[in-house]
Amino acid sequence: MTVGRPVERVDGRAKVTGGARYTADRTLPGMLYSYLVMGTIARGRVTAVDTAAARAVPGVVEVFTHENAPRLTSDQHFMPLQGTQIHYNGQIVAITVATTLEQAQEAAELVRVTYAPETPKAVIADALTEVYLPANQEVIVGDPTAGLAAAEVTVTQNYSSPPHHHNPIEPHATVAQWDGDRLTVHETSQGVVNAQRTFATTFGIPQTNVRVLAPYLGGGFGGKSPVWPHSLLNAAIARQLGRPAKMVLARSQMYSIVSHRAEFRQQVTLGAKRDGTLTALVHHSTQQLSRTSENMYSHSISSRMLYACPNIHTRQQGVRLDVPTSRFMRSPQMASHFGLETALDELSYQLGIDPVELRRRNYTDVNPTTGERFSSRFLLDCYKLGADAFGWSRRNPKPGSTRDGHEFVGWGMATEAHDHNANPSSAMVRMAADGTVLSQTATQDIGTGTYTVFTQVVADALGVPLNQVKVELADTNFPPAALSAGSGTIASVTGAVNAAALAVRTAVVQLAVSNPASPLHGVSVERIITQHGYLFSPDRSRRESYRAVMARHGAPVQNTSSMTNARGYSTGAVFVEVRVDPRYGRVRVTRGVGAYDAGRVMNHKTARSQVIGGFTWGIGNALMEHTVLDRRTARVVNPNLSTYLLAVNADVPEIDAIFVNKPDPVSTALGARGFGETPITGVPAAIGNAIFHATGRRIRDLPFTQDKLLY
Amino acid sequence: MTADSEYKRRTVLKAGSAAVTATLVATPAATPAAAAQTDSSSVDMTLRVNGRDHRLAVEPRVTLLDALRERLDLTGTKKGCDRGECGACTVLVDGRRIKSCLTLAVMRQNVEITTIEGLVRGDKLHPLQEAFIRQDALQCGGCTPGQIMSGVACISEGHTRSADEIREWMSGNLCRCACYPNIVAAIQDAAK
Repeated sequence: MTVGRPVERVDGRAKVTGGARYTADRTLPGMLYSYLVMGTIARGRVTAVDTAAARAVPGVVEVFTHENAPRLTSDQHFMPLQGTQIHYNGQIVAITVATTLEQAQEAAELVRVTYAPETPKAVIADALTEVYLPANQEVIVGDPTAGLAAAEVTVTQNYSSPPHHHNPIEPHATVAQWDGDRLTVHETSQGVVNAQRTFATTFGIPQTNVRVLAPYLGGGFGGKSPVWPHSLLNAAIARQLGRPAKMVLARSQMYSIVSHRAEFRQQVTLGAKRDGTLTALVHHSTQQLSRTSENMYSHSISSRMLYACPNIHTRQQGVRLDVPTSRFMRSPQMASHFGLETALDELSYQLGIDPVELRRRNYTDVNPTTGERFSSRFLLDCYKLGADAFGWSRRNPKPGSTRDGHEFVGWGMATEAHDHNANPSSAMVRMAADGTVLSQTATQDIGTGTYTVFTQVVADALGVPLNQVKVELADTNFPPAALSAGSGTIASVTGAVNAAALAVRTAVVQLAVSNPASPLHGVSVERIITQHGYLFSPDRSRRESYRAVMARHGAPVQNTSSMTNARGYSTGAVFVEVRVDPRYGRVRVTRGVGAYDAGRVMNHKTARSQVIGGFTWGIGNALMEHTVLDRRTARVVNPNLSTYLLAVNADVPEIDAIFVNKPDPVSTALGARGFGETPITGVPAAIGNAIFHATGRRIRDLPFTQDKLLY
Repeated sequence: MTADSEYKRRTVLKAGSAAVTATLVATPAATPAAAAQTDSSSVDMTLRVNGRDHRLAVEPRVTLLDALRERLDLTGTKKGCDRGECGACTVLVDGRRIKSCLTLAVMRQNVEITTIEGLVRGDKLHPLQEAFIRQDALQCGGCTPGQIMSGVACISEGHTRSADEIREWMSGNLCRCACYPNIVAAIQDAAK
């Protein structure tokens, strides 16, 4: 068995040598470069666009504005360049196209746009009277009012968090090429099948006429899930000009046209008995919406699914602002989870109950909203494994009780939890006449380890060495499979890959036992053992290699299978140590331990990396990451990586990742659950709780920057 | 763009590079008309990349990064921000790590440029490349070439005496998948 083992990434060599070709690495003969011009007002109209200077730049082939851009519609997004209306700052107002990148960039700077601006609203604070409750955004379980009345202790607090931007290191890129009415797009996409559908719908051509490829994706984190309008515009330009066209977004452009995590405010009210059991959980939130969409992605699922509480009220309000439409970003439930897990820490101090113990006392095997039993949940194990590894029992709960030199030391914890997607998926496995195996499926590896895990799955199902298996992904010529978002890739697609490989195994075994030329002739199919590239008789006295069986057969054996899986919920517990320098208000995270129930762990190496990545995002969200909007212009003032701060190497300590590793019995993914988004969710609260433990200061507004600790 | 348009980095780059390029070509002026005249003026140059001379003719304003990626098809070097903030474009110039987006190709003649493609010897990976795979110091791979080039320099600079020292000297290379502890482990491995 290789599943579960810390197998090295099979795409590692391509990625460490520069051999992996990403979207922006594609160059096609005759290819043109498109470059975007971004608007500079947030609300109003374009009154004129002067493209004369831009057109005069040598090499410029065309400049598109709302007046001459290809007419496109989208059923998913507001489509720019179709009229004069401006809905957010940084909206696409023109596109230059030239034979070199430099020419297109220079021309973009020379496009002159004039506007009739109106006063925009950029932040929730400026539109509090416009908060409303969109349809289907309220859930009430039991009687929350009665639950609060029955409480012996209550906590009510407000929490808030800023907008965030995904900022994958690979910018969004798209390369479009037409051949008649057939379109090939290299697209930075977390979902090539969805992308194929979007391109086909937009251009009114059959889905089979569109091929989308994304064999390597340089990070997505949700921001590369849909096809954004700029990709559709680039493809339309390629068609109109009759040449392939490539568009790569500048970093600054990624702060307005490829979505973000919405600004979020919340109020959490907890009612509890003196023993800590919750009697009511009321969670009201307000998140930013745009003028063109009321979709919201920061859901209060933790409040509805995590703790035993008979009376729950979640209310997810929105307010429309003159900003781009938000979307999901790695662990969308993190925003609301921060409020819940901080409020629980506040409750633990009011009650004088240890924060881990308080969570244990409210543990549930049953979804408190639906009453359904979870198929498997080992959260109590996570609390114990994590607390033991961290040394939590040695914690003196008194805030400010531990100092090391001039620094305050604090320990904090939180539960981690996120649900995951499961979408119907299919996969092909083919054993060639030489015994080598190819598996193809149109899901993606966005860095999480899909190539490697599926190689393990196929190798195990067939009983062949890993190096006999090749996996190919993210090409719509392959069987359709899930979007790589919502922690859904492994959960959705593993079952289909496994089923196809098992079907090939059965077929090849059949070829052997039914052929008198095989040493295994006459053995029943079910009794054959496959291992190390061989088929064995039950007592292992006789064997034949896959290679020999296939050579005799002289033709490939192939199967395509489909599978669906159930959605699921992966939980865990995270423990952190912080050191706070009271002179500067500087917080450093110096230790982290996370323990997780993710069902079966498919690969301990890649799973651990997911934990490290999630924990690091948690550090970023807790201590530094935030997008700043100028309230006057609704413009992002830090659209770059020197002022939108991500955690760097020096910000991240050693992180200990522990897995319960018990298969979920209902998961068709060999017992694995989706997991990638769980290990971020609790980290900001755990760090805030640790800061409180270190200093006695409770900060309820993310991020915990130095200014907030200094006043 | 309106009159209050932001100050663009390329404007800065042009202004800053004018003195350097002046000896090679006519000074690019800031006005559109003058820019139009000089834009077609490519410069013949030779870049020595990974031990091989590449002759190419590009405009003086072309960055080393764009010359590598868009002209020489050496796409292992990545463009993450194009303004020196992320480190994805890190290459070695005469053994020193630089961000190839912040230098012009025309300025980097007569030096040894090493990119990620130049680390492999035949089929044999560089010890740091091997260590990156072993320690799972990569996920999406978007920052990985830059991390490895930076790590090679970090080792040759001798900044590997402790994990904390590596963390500090590797903090110019962002990793959004966030493999930092594994990157530190890989560099420690390869530095042995």
